[in-house]
Amino acid sequence: MKKKYRNPTGVGKYTGLLLISPFLAGVLLFTVYPFVTSFLLGLTDYDGIREPRFAGLGNYIRMLGSSGFLGAAGVTLKYTAVLVPLKLIFSLLTAMLLNIELKGIGVYRTIFYIPTILGSNLAVVIMWQFLFTSNGFADQLLSLAGIAPVGWYSDTAHAMGIIVLLRLWEFGSTMIIFLNALRDVPREYYDAAKVDGCGRVRSFFVITLPLLRNVIFLNLVLQVIAAIQEFNAPYMITGGGPMKGTYTLGMLIYDEMFKYHNAGYANAVSWVMFVMIAAIVALLFRLTGRHREEI
Amino acid sequence: MRKFVLLTAALGCLASLSACGANSDVTLPDGKLDECELRFSWWGGDDRHEATLKAIELWNTKHPEIKIIPEYGGWDGWTEKIGTQLSGGTEPDIMQINYDWLISFSPDGRGFYDLGLLSDTIDLSVYDDEVLSFGRVDGILNGITVSLSGRGLFYNSETYKKFGASYPETWSELIALGEKFGREDVYPIDLDIQSGGTAWYLAVVYVQQQTGRQFITLDGRLGFTEDDIKTALDFYKELEDNHVIRTIDTRTDEDGTAALYQSPEFIDGRIAGVLEWGSSVGKYEMTLSEGILEAGPMLSDDSGNNTGWMIKPSLLYAVSRNTKHPDEAAAFLEFMLNDTEAAKLLGTTRGIPASHTSEEALEKSGMLTGLAQENDSLLEQIDTMTISPYMELAQMKEYYNTAIEKVSYNEAETGEAAHEMYTSITEYLERIAK
Repeated sequence: MKKKYRNPTGVGKYTGLLLISPFLAGVLLFTVYPFVTSFLLGLTDYDGIREPRFAGLGNYIRMLGSSGFLGAAGVTLKYTAVLVPLKLIFSLLTAMLLNIELKGIGVYRTIFYIPTILGSNLAVVIMWQFLFTSNGFADQLLSLAGIAPVGWYSDTAHAMGIIVLLRLWEFGSTMIIFLNALRDVPREYYDAAKVDGCGRVRSFFVITLPLLRNVIFLNLVLQVIAAIQEFNAPYMITGGGPMKGTYTLGMLIYDEMFKYHNAGYANAVSWVMFVMIAAIVALLFRLTGRHREEI
Repeated sequence: MRKFVLLTAALGCLASLSACGANSDVTLPDGKLDECELRFSWWGGDDRHEATLKAIELWNTKHPEIKIIPEYGGWDGWTEKIGTQLSGGTEPDIMQINYDWLISFSPDGRGFYDLGLLSDTIDLSVYDDEVLSFGRVDGILNGITVSLSGRGLFYNSETYKKFGASYPETWSELIALGEKFGREDVYPIDLDIQSGGTAWYLAVVYVQQQTGRQFITLDGRLGFTEDDIKTALDFYKELEDNHVIRTIDTRTDEDGTAALYQSPEFIDGRIAGVLEWGSSVGKYEMTLSEGILEAGPMLSDDSGNNTGWMIKPSLLYAVSRNTKHPDEAAAFLEFMLNDTEAAKLLGTTRGIPASHTSEEALEKSGMLTGLAQENDSLLEQIDTMTISPYMELAQMKEYYNTAIEKVSYNEAETGEAAHEMYTSITEYLERIAK
């Protein structure tokens, strides 16, 4: 027999809806509305000033033949492929170091998190430019090792390296997630492994890594999404150069939208970026053979 | 329910989309000055900021009921900022605008307020008809030219003195200086491909002088042939190869993305010359000791032909079509453009005023001196061309820069880069043609 619903607190039928309405309004206004509008604008020739005219798939067709779009997409994927693994490895190793129980370890954890708080703001960008300018700090360090100065901004690989290094430096959030997961690994596992003659390296591969599987995947997905959306660092440090070698999709969207007044095209590119992110994340799910529920 | 929410959201978006760019009603002038606040925006260097703030202070003393809120900054990113504001209808009441914005933001002449409606307040009789015509789009007066300006060459007199060199008068003299200065790794001038885009500008002058053809015509057609573009790129490469200017590689390495006037190489005299608008040279002048920067001759070919140099309205003032205070905005514009006291405060920070009233005021008070005036005089002595606003569009600059970058980094032969630029520009100009 179906149990009859009782309402002991006496709340009305729509109270729940009312309580979540601020959140709902926020989502509708700031997520759903821009999301749908962006898609619709992507189907027009909107220039930001005149009324948009329906252009069908014109923007998407133009994109396929555009060396600008293909170049920016290539740079974005290359940047993602270089940054994400490096950041995951670096964050994990640092988290393992900071997981050692030492007196005052909290201070170290705070210090390591500071770069993430600073982000790529103007002061950090100026510092970065100072570090990598011609005969700057980085060149001076190299000269100590007997290495000739490097053209940091004029060589595509080096310019990309500077940006990757900046983002790598902001490893705090990824590290904190790893650190929390590491602290959840029961110490007994390591003790038992030690008794069985298992060394530290082997313990890492047979205990730590398998137990961090889900967290690694979570960080991987988060970092891939952030990397594909990269804009700030190349915009402020290299301006996308040299020879568009650090010109990401984010910069292309910005330029098309604000410099060239191709709002329709810019929105179409942002939808392609969205689909690209969704496809890569879906691919990661498939490759790792996991379902969303596991995360 | 879910379908209903999605459908409602989509319909809402469609409704708001159809409102994008829709013209709201324009507030018409009523001939009265009411108490209000007006936003006024401009870009420029510190010299312009300081002078303009002083002029605003004077205005606020004279008209305390109409308060002017200044919004100002450097050129980089300014177009994007104003573009966003115009798109959202949140632009300032009064704006300093660039020549090409008339095409970008007001292709049908309705993107800015029709200043013809405010001619009772703004005295338009003090402008030449040709000068006023620069601000008209489809016959609608969208902007009033503040000054006419052209780019000229300015040199660090100390560095030139040190080398015992005089300012070049011909292209070949300029190229010869490259070798002389290059022995000490000093450059006679430098050009950039950033927001200034002076590299392509000088190359265009060189070819226009040779051929007599205008690069882009005033009505937006490509006047150069593919061969002309190749000649321009060859000339640019010649400048780099002869140590007249830095290669992009060297410049990027030394300065990153910093503007030339902020670079240590310019400040310490290693870059001994720049190509700059007479109306904007103040920012370069300010970074050096007084009197160091001097205007040089407009370069000619060996036969003395010095045509091909260009002028344009350096800046225009426009009023937002969304302003609720057109009379007050017009009164402020009249003050900024034609008031003699304001003219003296503003000096030549926006170039030599196009308004005869302001120009006379500066002349009488002996203020028509300095680099802007010298550059203006040099341009007046030669047969100049009027720059097409299409030449200054951001997308066009992107094409110039791409070609120059490829040539500079030896990624493409000049012929190949010229072909690409020619095709891109032709297609783009056709696309945006009315």
